[in-house]
Amino acid sequence: MNVIFTVIFLASVAVMAFTAPDKLLSTLLGGAENSAKMALTLFCIYAVWLGISKLAEKSGLSAGIAKGLKPVTKRLFKTDSALVSENLAMNLSCNLLGIGGAATPYAVKAIGELEKEKNSYAQKLLFVINATSIQILPTTVIALRAGAGSLNSSDIFLPSLICTAISTVTAVILFIAGNKIWRS
Amino acid sequence: MALVIPAIIIFVIVFAIMKRVNVYNSFCDGVKEALDLAISLLPCLCAIFMMCALFEASGLADAFTRLLAPVFSFFGIPQELTKLVLIKPFSGSGSLAYLNEIITAYGADSYIARCACVCFGSSETVFYISAVYFAKVKTKKIALPVLCVLTATFLSTVIACLICKVM
Repeated sequence: MNVIFTVIFLASVAVMAFTAPDKLLSTLLGGAENSAKMALTLFCIYAVWLGISKLAEKSGLSAGIAKGLKPVTKRLFKTDSALVSENLAMNLSCNLLGIGGAATPYAVKAIGELEKEKNSYAQKLLFVINATSIQILPTTVIALRAGAGSLNSSDIFLPSLICTAISTVTAVILFIAGNKIWRS
Repeated sequence: MALVIPAIIIFVIVFAIMKRVNVYNSFCDGVKEALDLAISLLPCLCAIFMMCALFEASGLADAFTRLLAPVFSFFGIPQELTKLVLIKPFSGSGSLAYLNEIITAYGADSYIARCACVCFGSSETVFYISAVYFAKVKTKKIALPVLCVLTATFLSTVIACLICKVM
């Protein structure tokens, strides 16, 4: 990320120095402003779902779900921590339900816990699964199409499901295979 | 489907009441965690957002798009989708704006728009997620997972363009 960031940042500034030097500062400030807005949006999403999940955690509900999913999380993520499994379970179920925004805080918490175990393999695998989007119902897209006067706005449901399944499975296989080659 | 979220929330709260958990205090604890999380993410988010703004404003993003358009059409991805496919990994809101543009320009039921929708719905903002997920992590060796995800996303984009022709 360091390399990508430096290269893109430097190249963009260099180009702008020639094309529009007066707009450089306003662009930077605009980017920073958007990140602040994004952080606020994230806080709102997190506040709703972490509030709810704290209830699930204190009542022992998420521990129950995690126990059910334990065989899966143990094999895939190679972790024994109950807290990690709990967050993983919540993350996966939110993803499958199509509430991706709710899935992120659980993933971030799970990654924080995994950091304590120094289990970077599980951190990366979790990223791979989340970054290939395993949602079942693409609600935003369907809403957009309906708004634009589509005759059958949800007819993209099946193609989306096929594509998202293919991308997740491919990425996980590639990652597990790549991880083995990398080490040996 | 709209009932899923209320059902989950009601179930969680009722379950908590049954277990005699202090609902208000626990909820506030959760929000406190949310605040800490959001603040700890801000530095990395800020840097990445500035980079994206520069990339777009300098015209490099456009130049990149033009450069890659022939490669994309070779794989059967329509040229109209090039920018969407390229921007999606970086910015959710940016690609959403562009998706909206495509839908209004070509009509919601056109092949291009349906294709764009499937590509959009079946992929994620890879770089944004990597920034959020790995913000607090020491290992910065994330080239392999990012590469796997990008490859898989590209594959699913190609397949999306094929599937939309028949379905």
